[in-house]
Amino acid sequence: MRVRHVLALACAACVLAVLPAFAEGTIKIGFPIPLSGPAALYGVPILKGAQMAVADLNAKGGVLGRKLELLPRDSKASADEAVRLARELIIKDNADFLAGTLTSAEAPAVSTIAKENKIVFIAPSAKTASLTAPANLHPYIFRFASNTTTEGQAGAIIMSKWKDIKKVATIAPDYAYGRDAIASFVAEIKKLRPDIAIVDQQWPKLGEPDFTAFITAQMSKQPDAVFCDLYGGDFVTFVKQAMPLGYFTAIHNRLADGGEVGAVDVTEPLGANYPFGIWSDAYDPVIWPGHEPAAHKAWVQEMKDSLKSPYGSGWAIQGYSVILALAAGIEKAGSTNSDKVSKALVGLTFDTPAGKRSFNANHDADTGEFWGEMVKDPKYPFAIIKDPTYYNPEPVAVTD
Amino acid sequence: MNRVALGRSIPWTLVVFLIAVWVPALGSRYDTFLGTQIAIDALFVVSLNLLLGTTGLVSFGHAAYFGIGAYACGILMKTYGVPFVIAFPAAALIAAFFALIFGFFCVRLSALYFAMLTLAFAQIVWAICFKWNAVTGGDEGLPNIPYPKLDWISSLPGLGDLSIADEFYLLTILMVALSFAILRQVIRSPFGRMLTTIRDNPERAAFIGLNVRAYELAAFVVAGGFAGLAGALYGIFNRGAFADYVFWSKSAEVLIMTILGGINYFWGPPVGAFALVWLNQEITSYTQYWPFVLGVVLLVLLFGFPGGIVGGLVAGYERLRRMLRPRHA
Amino acid sequence: MAASFLFSQFVGGLTTAMFLFLIASGLSLVFGVMRVVNFAHGTFYMLGAYLAWQAVQWLSPTGENFWPAALLAALGIAVLGAVVERLLLRHLYGREELYQLLFTYALVLILGDAAKFIWGTGQLSVTRPPVLAASLHLFGAEVPLYNLFIMILGPLIALGGWLVLNRSGAGRLVRAASYDREMLDALGANVGTIYTGMFVVSAFLAGLSGALVTPIESVVPGMDVEIIVQAFIVVVIGGLGSFWGTFWGSVIYGQVLSFGILIFPGFSLFSVFALMAVILIIRPWGLFGRPIR
Repeated sequence: MRVRHVLALACAACVLAVLPAFAEGTIKIGFPIPLSGPAALYGVPILKGAQMAVADLNAKGGVLGRKLELLPRDSKASADEAVRLARELIIKDNADFLAGTLTSAEAPAVSTIAKENKIVFIAPSAKTASLTAPANLHPYIFRFASNTTTEGQAGAIIMSKWKDIKKVATIAPDYAYGRDAIASFVAEIKKLRPDIAIVDQQWPKLGEPDFTAFITAQMSKQPDAVFCDLYGGDFVTFVKQAMPLGYFTAIHNRLADGGEVGAVDVTEPLGANYPFGIWSDAYDPVIWPGHEPAAHKAWVQEMKDSLKSPYGSGWAIQGYSVILALAAGIEKAGSTNSDKVSKALVGLTFDTPAGKRSFNANHDADTGEFWGEMVKDPKYPFAIIKDPTYYNPEPVAVTD
Repeated sequence: MNRVALGRSIPWTLVVFLIAVWVPALGSRYDTFLGTQIAIDALFVVSLNLLLGTTGLVSFGHAAYFGIGAYACGILMKTYGVPFVIAFPAAALIAAFFALIFGFFCVRLSALYFAMLTLAFAQIVWAICFKWNAVTGGDEGLPNIPYPKLDWISSLPGLGDLSIADEFYLLTILMVALSFAILRQVIRSPFGRMLTTIRDNPERAAFIGLNVRAYELAAFVVAGGFAGLAGALYGIFNRGAFADYVFWSKSAEVLIMTILGGINYFWGPPVGAFALVWLNQEITSYTQYWPFVLGVVLLVLLFGFPGGIVGGLVAGYERLRRMLRPRHA
Repeated sequence: MAASFLFSQFVGGLTTAMFLFLIASGLSLVFGVMRVVNFAHGTFYMLGAYLAWQAVQWLSPTGENFWPAALLAALGIAVLGAVVERLLLRHLYGREELYQLLFTYALVLILGDAAKFIWGTGQLSVTRPPVLAASLHLFGAEVPLYNLFIMILGPLIALGGWLVLNRSGAGRLVRAASYDREMLDALGANVGTIYTGMFVVSAFLAGLSGALVTPIESVVPGMDVEIIVQAFIVVVIGGLGSFWGTFWGSVIYGQVLSFGILIFPGFSLFSVFALMAVILIIRPWGLFGRPIR
């Protein structure tokens, strides 16, 4: 028994001894993000993008002469876990900044930790409008993602141009993101097209394995067009079940989806089964017919290599840009002090692979989404966005 | 025999409490952080073990009462500005109340059905927490639960100027120690002995005229109440109440902690909580494959140390004693 | 509301029900006969889906080879089940149910991470087999042939399971094992083999349902955890040890969901738990179960 005790102590000692002896002087960025479960679909490419940015910046000598160090942790898409990790990253690993989190539940929770610890936190993908709403805004929270308000508005602007539609239905996952985006869409479409009536609203749960009943219920109301906010695996499942039920034929493919289902992450697995002709969006079209910025072309190649994937991901850009934004803020502040970086970030314009972005006084980046009709292209075995147009929420010209 | 009796006569709760008090003096924010989490989890697992080890009931939905406690205390303190001294016991009462309602239906069922029904009720609680935006904050949870007013701790003589995290740590270990003392008395009381009889031989318990269900329900309510206390502390510690607290994987986690430590000893589950929290912190810094590591730990435990860590240590100690002592004794 | 609409909603609910039954049937067997709460059943289902995708890639990604791929996946999971039962689970039968439950939970953790390690975190998709790609026009409702196939397969499995359990020698032994394991052991029957057989059949059903779900669902990490609680609840609603109970439990669940969302939008999150609570409060032993205590 003694022997076992000694062994156990020895093991514990070994573990403690190899605890990362972090190089003095690196700028540490805590990065809680889902790396398991369905949300890992987005968490992993976002993290890979962030890691790419860190490698790129370090290759150029780092920021303020100091190397960046990313500390990724699996948040399991849970607010509880994300909060725990954020605090652990701050007090155990001495993270200088926080970035990351995926969902609209994780980000506001981590935001409170950033506020308490006075540490700048930039969210790459959480869309909920409440994250930077006046009641929750504080100096240390920044959002690089677009938000549910602009997403719903962009969808409404696109749909308002479909002249012959009168009856519109909606379907979105039953939680804050879906509810907020649909509310914004409904408000905007009523403003733009008072002649349109909302005839049906379906709220399947996130991760719903079977949409059949929702689809048939919606079809019974005979909508002319649908605004949809299903995304990722849910959208793939939805399409596979809706197609044979004749759902897309019934609405003549007049569906707009604000859940980035124009991204290769979704179009590639669906392949030829994609409902061609619908409208959708992506943070990064990746495949960019037409006016592609030169910087983007080079970046996409690097991204594909780094992801070891022939088509890459439409989400890596979010992780990449967040790190660039943070680096630009540190550079401008000339310090890693979060109070100074926070002041530097407000109003700051910085480069991203998809063009220049800047943070407004509300701590939101002017990030929109690239929308377009989803079409077949003989060069690819899956749908691509035809003529990707930057909507924020109105269409904006992309400059190099 | 004498040594075992000696072990029993030591007031372990007091001893551990007196040691734990010194953690903030180490000066590391991280030690206090870890200490708070372990203390809260220790209370959570001990409350579960009142069902598991003492009464022999496998609850797969114990996280429900933990979550209800967290939400109750959080809503009272944040939304209604109720002071902690009222919100804290209220959280226990509310959690116990729900345990009474759900438990009433659960204890009518046999082992596996009992586990499944506790799970179902927990999932209903989860769905309500997840959806009821106006009250629970829905899927975004209830962040920003305020810390209780704890300036008085720093003003105690000899403690000096402490950070709010240190003060909350001291409050936590005090509350946990008091809860342990109460639960210890409950288990040693005639009521506790009845629960053990029910665990060992329910037929006999019924035969001698015990109302088995009533006793089980009482245990369920007490366990739920203390889980609620743990949840109330955790909501403040983790700076918010979230629907994940109630999800079934949380119930699984607390079961694992309990078994890891050993269900046959009062101090088994807290040791399990300590081990698992510490292991989690160390492993997740290196790899995202923590579930894999946890699964392997669980397998080793199930096949190698069915008595848990404390069970294994006690068995090893007994063996050692027998080896050292001459045979004829 | 038009009759054709009600019909299509009914069919939609039935599709949901039969997919759920495919998964829950194997769970019901192990739950009813061996008294093991097998949390890893959902993970077997997920691995079946991944294996089916993998087999389709090996054979030909166009979809003609879906059927052999599905069978291959189901057999693969059956073998995995045999290995798990023979090497590990068998040693826990004498112990309390809690230990078996935790064992299957350990499997969930380990196999889930293994799947993530092998197939990554992206989503995978399998094309609908061309034979069943079309849809049928039935009483004004569109019914995809693939859904129809599942709706026929579900009752067939229920019937087959019932026949084997109630009308065959092996089935009698299995049922006897579920009543009193020790007694059967004493009578000289090889209970170990019966248990292994049950577990393998259950794993096969899990693998098969995982494979069959790929043409209508995306294959993503975490799909195991998403489905397992739902499947458990259907089994519990039906009643412990009742194969038909699981069948009717699924049917009722499908219809409650299908018509529930018409009356209360946003009901789907509660549907299964609410249904379970109501049924167990009225009949604590489930719809078709025996009152036991």
